[in-house]
Amino acid sequence: MQTTESRAGHTPLLEARGLSKDYGDTRALDSLDLAIAPGEVYCLLGPNGAGKTTTINLFLGFVVPSGGQALVSGLDVSTHDRETKQQLAYIPEQVMLYRNLSGLENLEYFAALGGRGSLGRERLADILVKAGLERDAVGRRVSDYSKGMRQKVGIAIAMAKEAAVLLLDEPTSGLDPKASNEFSALVERLRERGVAVLMATHDLFRAKDTGTRVGIMRYGRLVTELSTDEIGHADLERIYLEHMHD
Amino acid sequence: MAARTVLRNEWRLLMADRALRIVLGLFAVLLLYALANGVVWLRFQERIVETVQTGNAERASAIEQELAAIANGAEPASRFSDPRDPYVLGGGRGTHTAVLTPGPLTALAVGQSDLLPYYYDVNIYTNESSFQQNGEVENPLNLMVGRFDLAFVVIYLLPLLVLALGYNVLSEEREQGTLALTLSQPVSARGVVVAKLAFRALLVVGMVLAASLLGTLVTGGFGSPGRVLLWCAAVVIYALFWFVLAAWVNSLRRSSAWNATVLVGAWLVLVVVLPATINIASGLLHPLPSRVQMVTAQREASNDAVNRRSELLARYLEDHPEMAEGVVADVTFSGALAWAATDAVNRRLEEVTGEHDARRAEQIALVRRYRFLSPALLAQEVLVDAAGTGDARYAGFQSQVRAFAERWRGFFVPAILAGEQMDASVLPDLPRFSLADEGSGDVARRAAVPLAVLGGLLVLVGAAAGAGLGRVRGAD
Amino acid sequence: MIRHIIRKEFTDIVRDGRFRWCSILVGALLLVALGHGWVQARNAQQEHAAAQATARDHWETQGEKNPHSAAHYGIYAFKPRLALSFVDEGVDPYTGTSVWLEAHRQNDFLLRPAQDATAAQRIGVLTAAQVLQHLVPLLIILLTFGAFAGERERGTLRQLLASGIGRRELAAGKALGVSGALALMLVPAALVGAAALVVGSPGPAASPLARGVVLAGVYLAYFTVFLALSLAVSAWARSARTALVILLGVWVVNGLVAPRVAVDLSKWLHPTPSAIEFARTIEREMASGAGDISPPDRDASTERLLAEYGVEQVEDLPINAVGVYLQESEEFGNRIFDRNYSALWDTFERQGVVHETLAVAAPLLAVRTLSMGLAGTDVEQHRHFATAAETYRRDLMRRMNGDMAENSRTGDFSYAADAELWESVPPLQYAAPTLGWVLGNRILSLLVLGTWLVGTVLVAAARVRRAEVG
Repeated sequence: MQTTESRAGHTPLLEARGLSKDYGDTRALDSLDLAIAPGEVYCLLGPNGAGKTTTINLFLGFVVPSGGQALVSGLDVSTHDRETKQQLAYIPEQVMLYRNLSGLENLEYFAALGGRGSLGRERLADILVKAGLERDAVGRRVSDYSKGMRQKVGIAIAMAKEAAVLLLDEPTSGLDPKASNEFSALVERLRERGVAVLMATHDLFRAKDTGTRVGIMRYGRLVTELSTDEIGHADLERIYLEHMHD
Repeated sequence: MAARTVLRNEWRLLMADRALRIVLGLFAVLLLYALANGVVWLRFQERIVETVQTGNAERASAIEQELAAIANGAEPASRFSDPRDPYVLGGGRGTHTAVLTPGPLTALAVGQSDLLPYYYDVNIYTNESSFQQNGEVENPLNLMVGRFDLAFVVIYLLPLLVLALGYNVLSEEREQGTLALTLSQPVSARGVVVAKLAFRALLVVGMVLAASLLGTLVTGGFGSPGRVLLWCAAVVIYALFWFVLAAWVNSLRRSSAWNATVLVGAWLVLVVVLPATINIASGLLHPLPSRVQMVTAQREASNDAVNRRSELLARYLEDHPEMAEGVVADVTFSGALAWAATDAVNRRLEEVTGEHDARRAEQIALVRRYRFLSPALLAQEVLVDAAGTGDARYAGFQSQVRAFAERWRGFFVPAILAGEQMDASVLPDLPRFSLADEGSGDVARRAAVPLAVLGGLLVLVGAAAGAGLGRVRGAD
Repeated sequence: MIRHIIRKEFTDIVRDGRFRWCSILVGALLLVALGHGWVQARNAQQEHAAAQATARDHWETQGEKNPHSAAHYGIYAFKPRLALSFVDEGVDPYTGTSVWLEAHRQNDFLLRPAQDATAAQRIGVLTAAQVLQHLVPLLIILLTFGAFAGERERGTLRQLLASGIGRRELAAGKALGVSGALALMLVPAALVGAAALVVGSPGPAASPLARGVVLAGVYLAYFTVFLALSLAVSAWARSARTALVILLGVWVVNGLVAPRVAVDLSKWLHPTPSAIEFARTIEREMASGAGDISPPDRDASTERLLAEYGVEQVEDLPINAVGVYLQESEEFGNRIFDRNYSALWDTFERQGVVHETLAVAAPLLAVRTLSMGLAGTDVEQHRHFATAAETYRRDLMRRMNGDMAENSRTGDFSYAADAELWESVPPLQYAAPTLGWVLGNRILSLLVLGTWLVGTVLVAAARVRRAEVG
């Protein structure tokens, strides 16, 4: 696979160069090359075990690559842990928070960890509301939040951080359609502000809807890459299924 | 600043957790209860010390008055209590009680102060068997169980609290899913765990130190700042040892349940099982010599001495030619004779106890090596020693009393042998016991090795924890 | 059905590496403690017996002297170590081991072994009793906290109950399975203990085997309390973790906090005099009497004797008036000592009752009291020996003063008795109290332990019946 030049021609915010990861004898990711520019939403599609989460973990430095490099704004993740994380925001499949604290307190904490400790409570509450949380839920304990509400706090954390890169791992799985739509709208807003988004998902519809590009993965390899404006829903589904056959 | 953020968040989390609030509140109550206990005990000892000193003064003034009266021509009340007789003035009637004032931090650690005698009556009859006495009147059952003092709370309960607060610092974050979100921020796992534990350590150590300083303040223990410092150092190092142990177990990346089991097991082994095993092993390998045999030896020595009184006097005078001059020619003179027998018994007793004590010291030296295996034993040693209620201070007191008794005899025996009479002019020269209490420097020298070993353990486990935590990543 | 559960639990536990290691550790500690205790008790007993024989020898061979001089010479009594003290040394390290029985004074027991030991040896005591009182309950907790809570978390409880077994059968099966696993460790230890008692009893005791059997019963009841408590908490708690935390809390309060709180509480409720106050009170009362006890009047005593024998001069008395007077002052002293020492012992006993009463919050306190009582190492049995020694002293003094009064004349200080008199005094033969005496003293602890037993079993049964499937 060749290095994919970003459409916009800028320095890519997120870049993988021959990125590989082995777990024992299993190759979880096989020399992935990828570049995502500001304002791009790149969706990684693939079945379970295709290497999507491994890719995200590599960009987060949660796992050490067996080969190649993961770069954020041109900086190698494995040598510039702090600097790269400064630029990243991450929303896991399940946004888990401190159950005994309110959404606002959780946001305050994570924002401060991310270097945005100076934001006042008012600003943070506004961000939570902007992320879609009801105003009166802001001060309630997270223990009675629904999954969608926790997901919104996750987005708020990313927004508060004003991160240049957003890493999303199956962000809409388990959300009802309304919540999923709201989520997509938020991602779209962030994209418009120039954020580069890498989203792992197995929701074809969501990928077509939210993404600007789609990469299909299988057995740790990126098997094909498409631009979403060029194809319709049906095409995507057909191509995906084609690749899933041996 | 990430550490401050974590600290603030931890404070919120703790305050939001009702169970934890209750545990901390309970711990504070236990600390205060322990302190109150210690203060009551200290006040009791202070009262007794005062009583004893008043007794000394009363005896002295009674003797002074009678001597003055006799000088003015009055007759002594009885021949057997005639204060002019050196046997009386240096014997029962003139008895001077040597007192060990309570350790400066007794209120924090009762230590051995409920078991060992802290005052001895000294007169010419004082000999080795005078040291075989019980201390304060105390129910043996209560002695067996021990006191609920601050040292007990620190050695036994503090580690349990530390473990309860620290067993899941990392594992819980992983189990509740917040670890990934946290580590996606520009912070390291090590930094987060250190900040979390630092916060808890600040809280716990702060509480214990506050209680310690409060106790010191209430009882005037700040007179020995060195001891206070050593006490605080031992508390801090011991508490931190348990914190880094918790950090290390967390760094092994197992579940909270596993961490809890391992840490409780470690507590049980280090605090309960090891000290006990050490004691059993030392009892088997280095048994202490028995005092019972000493009783028999003493008895035989005194039988022997009584049977050979006059022979003994002759020998005594040979050994002490300087005394011979004044001795009344008539060897039936009872004072000199009795003294010769007493002296012989004393010498024999010194031999017997000397052997016993040497063997005991040898065994204890061997036993003390094993204490390096248990941080609890190390901490206890330093805490009790710093408080001034440890074995060393009592042993030091005893040897001072021994020297004082020697001085006392040296003052009266020549007069006894010479059959002299004493008068008020000797009163200002009468030996008086003044305690040369050990300085903080002495305590520090004794505490240096155990503290260093404890600190070494802390560093060792801390390094292992640091290395382990360095390997922790968000995707475990 | 229940058989299957027992077998499954038993196999599960025995195969579990954690249990194996814990049991091996606890079992090894138990055996080592038993062995060490036995060796120590036997050595101490042999030494005390030898010292007692030597003391008797000293007494018999003291040579010719006035009986009152012999009374002053006196004799030493050494406390025997009772047979079962190797299981539980109790307060023995904190009571003296020997007392000097001499004229005019009741002395204290001296030579407390603990005074010779170090501070470190006070915090780490390991006797078989300590293992049974502290470590075995911990093992029980570790084995049972997950009985219901754990099965519920894993979802296996649903499956088990669906198979038609009742909750109580399940609980009984689990309890028996755990008991069986524990028996693997405890039964051999008990047999070793019994064998040690039969083969080479370390010291004398009244009916040591019966005491041993009751002791075993007490510990069985104690373990059952913990087993029932653990099952109840496990059935009630929402998660295994909660169950464990609660049970560990109970263990800490039971074994660490309550015993020491009992010490302070007992001292506060029933304060003991300080040593100096105690000694001064006796000194004062010996000089001037107390209440209706007044010191004997030597002149009055002589007058009475003169009247009794109808003579004018003391020289004409057929007896030695000094001997009579000495015995009178001895008896006066005895009343003063009785007054003060009884008060002190009674205070100790009342303090002991505080410990026993607090057993309502911590069963350990009841078990410890019973264990020391049965081993013969509690304060009461120390008092029992002290009383026997004091009775012996008084008899000895009576014999000496009587001989002096009978066989010499007033003012005759040259009279000397010989070995015939010394040998006529029977040696100190101490009979340890019977099992009935011990248990009679310990009704409160028996009651409290019984209540704990019945209470926890009932609560466990009720909790188990209502246990949620999850």
